[in-house]
Amino acid sequence: MTAPAYNKPLLDVRGLTIEIETRRGPAVIVDGINLTVGKGETVGVVGESGCGKSLTMLSLVRLLPNKIKVRGGTAVFDGRDLLQMSKSELRQVRGGKIGFVFQDPMTSLNPVMRIGDQLCEPLIYHRDMKKADARKRAIELLKLVGIPGPEQRIDAYPHELSGGMRQRVMIAIGLACDPELLIADEPTTALDVTIQAQIVDLVKELRRKLGMSVVWITHDLALIAGLVDRVAVLYAGTVVEDAPVGELFKRPTHPYTRGLLASIPKLSDERASRLSSIGGTPPEPGRRPKGCPFAPRCGLAEPICHEHVPALLSFAEEPRHRVACFVAQRQMMEAA
Amino acid sequence: MGAQPLLKVENLVKHFVVKLGAFGEKGATVYAVDDVSFDIMTGETLSLVGESGCGKSTTGFTLLNLQRATAGKVIFEGENIVALDEKRMRPYRRALQIVFQDPYSTLNPRMTVGEVVGEPILFHKLATKAELPERIARLLADVGLPSRFAQRYPHELSGGQRQRVAIARALACQPKFIVCDEAISALDVSVQAQIINLLLDLQQKYGLTYLFIAHDLAVVRHISDRVGVMYLGRLAELATREQLFSNPLHPYTKALLSAVPEADPELEQTRRRQILTGDVPSPLAPPAGCRFHTRCPIAMDQCRSVVPEWREVVPGHHVACHAVAESVPG
Amino acid sequence: MAPANLTAFVDEDPPVSLWRDAWHRLFRNKLAVAGLVIVIFLALVAMFGPWLTPYDFLTQNLEVRNQAPSLAHLFGTDDLGRDVLSRVIYGTRTAFVVAIVVTTVAVAIGVALGAIAGYYGGLLDRTIMWFTDMTMSVPNLLLVVVINASLKTPVTAWMEAQYQATLNPFYRQTVWVDFLLVFGSMALISWPPYARLVRAQVLSIRGRPYVTAARALGLTNRLIIMRYIVPNAVGPLIVSVSAGLGTAMVLESAFSFLGVGVNPPTPSWGNMISDGLRVWQHYPHLLAAPAAVLGLATVAFSFLGDGLNDALNPRGSK
Repeated sequence: MTAPAYNKPLLDVRGLTIEIETRRGPAVIVDGINLTVGKGETVGVVGESGCGKSLTMLSLVRLLPNKIKVRGGTAVFDGRDLLQMSKSELRQVRGGKIGFVFQDPMTSLNPVMRIGDQLCEPLIYHRDMKKADARKRAIELLKLVGIPGPEQRIDAYPHELSGGMRQRVMIAIGLACDPELLIADEPTTALDVTIQAQIVDLVKELRRKLGMSVVWITHDLALIAGLVDRVAVLYAGTVVEDAPVGELFKRPTHPYTRGLLASIPKLSDERASRLSSIGGTPPEPGRRPKGCPFAPRCGLAEPICHEHVPALLSFAEEPRHRVACFVAQRQMMEAA
Repeated sequence: MGAQPLLKVENLVKHFVVKLGAFGEKGATVYAVDDVSFDIMTGETLSLVGESGCGKSTTGFTLLNLQRATAGKVIFEGENIVALDEKRMRPYRRALQIVFQDPYSTLNPRMTVGEVVGEPILFHKLATKAELPERIARLLADVGLPSRFAQRYPHELSGGQRQRVAIARALACQPKFIVCDEAISALDVSVQAQIINLLLDLQQKYGLTYLFIAHDLAVVRHISDRVGVMYLGRLAELATREQLFSNPLHPYTKALLSAVPEADPELEQTRRRQILTGDVPSPLAPPAGCRFHTRCPIAMDQCRSVVPEWREVVPGHHVACHAVAESVPG
Repeated sequence: MAPANLTAFVDEDPPVSLWRDAWHRLFRNKLAVAGLVIVIFLALVAMFGPWLTPYDFLTQNLEVRNQAPSLAHLFGTDDLGRDVLSRVIYGTRTAFVVAIVVTTVAVAIGVALGAIAGYYGGLLDRTIMWFTDMTMSVPNLLLVVVINASLKTPVTAWMEAQYQATLNPFYRQTVWVDFLLVFGSMALISWPPYARLVRAQVLSIRGRPYVTAARALGLTNRLIIMRYIVPNAVGPLIVSVSAGLGTAMVLESAFSFLGVGVNPPTPSWGNMISDGLRVWQHYPHLLAAPAAVLGLATVAFSFLGDGLNDALNPRGSK
């Protein structure tokens, strides 16, 4: 892997806060997230359902569902704040500079349009291509994502393709305009393992070939172990730990990260041994605890954890490893 | 592990007829389960794995007689239960239970948790009305829920809590056997671990036998005694957990295992994967011969025409593949 | 993706059933509440009509013909000097009686046929649905006109014959013939949508895991239908019935307007509108009063139906 230029982030999200309208009034679901993605870097965003990982990414291109609104923060992409852009500037970014791949390839493709037309659309819109050129490029893209017989398949409708093929088409659409950043939101969750392996390998290869940055949103820590450069672990709308992938798996520091890793069954486990699990469930929006959101489920929680929200601070010996936990931070201080 | 089979599945077949065309004039057959045979031993956890559409869930439904078998037998307590009509099946239902995947639709949204868990108890007259609240509380405690949950409605619970209620409902019948049909697949990782632990605890406490249907091999490896691998309606391989994961014989099993990601970046970055090309063929028109031959890296001529025999190559290790030698050193 | 456990409860909250949840949602919807209030008001008017009317709806007073609204006659009088308010109130009675009877009959037929078709499937399903589609394919007005035109004379003749034979005055009340034919023909055209709705509901609920789980528990078919399928199918049916009541009122008015529904002198909004239309340039109140009430009723049922739909079938939240 080539060393990506981390010093100048392509995407720099700071203090992003998102609220949802509920019966009891607005409730915070994303609470001041900080996240950077370097040029050419692949970042895994990991968390369980409801942790705000998808909403964070959707908010960047302002595709949030109704009743969910950005309340604060900035998201600087390539020197411009995405959250302040005008609608027309934003349209240039969507699909042009930032490509999206969603979880469900069946519902994300328009069932009444041929896949070729869906592929050509962004090319004609963003790149001002002529129809014939766009079609040529579309065939190239289908070849790039490994669809056999692209000259014929380009005229197929989505329902004529298998799930894996459809997800490849989604990736091709995401890549159509050579985006600088590809955001993949659980792109393999709906797929079988053997197909998932195909898609993961495809994305790895494309990243190497095209040199783009990738954000891979997932709940599956094992899946991204061999895929990403860096991992951000989200819990209840905050980043609790952010570290290079090897470092995170070697030295998981936040109790939540440790709990997540420990709850994955491993090769070395005895049969039917008890898995360590995290008790309880994440807080619901509107009922967030006052201090650290993980404190009510945390075995190490101290009085301060219930009172104050810990900041995301760097390790002394590995500044790229950051963690938001009072207990871990104190232990680091003591060790230093 | 008890040596006695609790259930014997013999040459089970399930075909669906689907209507195609605007007027349903064309019939087509889905070969969902074809000639599947295995035993489920008392007290064990047998897992069925495979990709979507391989027939693992249909096998579970058919052997509980929730879907009519097209052919074959399922012997339970000396009776071929798949031949029974709904009325004669009823006495056996209590012993054979099922837990489903989707925590949102597994419970009747109009019934409280107490009603859900209490219904089978009253129906099968396992307790009187007066004993019911205490019985419900005990069942909820078994699945790790406080008794005050009995007043709650399903939509007020989280996914993991609903799945616990579904397990309590199955337990209410005092079953011997539970089919877990992707019972943890829809849950978050940390909750999955809770439910796996719960299932293991209950198995120990009540001597339950599980048929665990899943696609997550890491989980299957963790909880199974034996594992069966299905592909397009047929069993490809069946072996103990150790045999299957350390010495897989069928090329499909090998590919499946190599596709499972491990939570270890160093291993993942250096690991050579055997990636299958192509997609699973349609169960409407499965390939002749071995059904895996269209994607198999070592397919030979006879694989395209002759269905490989289901044989026991090592004691306890069954496989259906022409390329596996007659006897394999264990 | 909305957070999965938005609704997860906290101990201090009381348990909330889906029905109660739906009530809360309905009462937060201002238009639905307005619709409900109007519907209840009209229903009360219909129920207590005889005690509310300032005049008898049939009494003619030729001295006060075609009077504009005044304190003595709030909605004015018609060409025979009858009090329009009293007639509108009686029209409300007609509308509610027709709507309730027709909808009840249509729902009964539709639910029975739809449930049988959905639960048993196969040939029975195909036959019932073929019959349903056939009924739906015949234009409503045409069917009603044909039924009324072809049956009215023989039924009236038969009633007259019965009277001659028995001298029972009951057979002289031709208003029953009117009602019977209106009810019958309207019910005949109103049931197919209910049948389709119920069939679709049953089909979808029958395949849900909780029904399969109930079968796995060994519960009987009867118990499964009563405890699992019916309670989960009634939500959409309630919405549909609310809208159906409004539709039935409009239909009744339309038929009466065309002269194939309730006949004068029995007041109906439809025949009042029909009468009023002929003289609206001179006496607009004769058209305006029944038309306004009909419009009000339609809008009220439509708001209520929308509100019920949002309350019972909330989208986007689980």
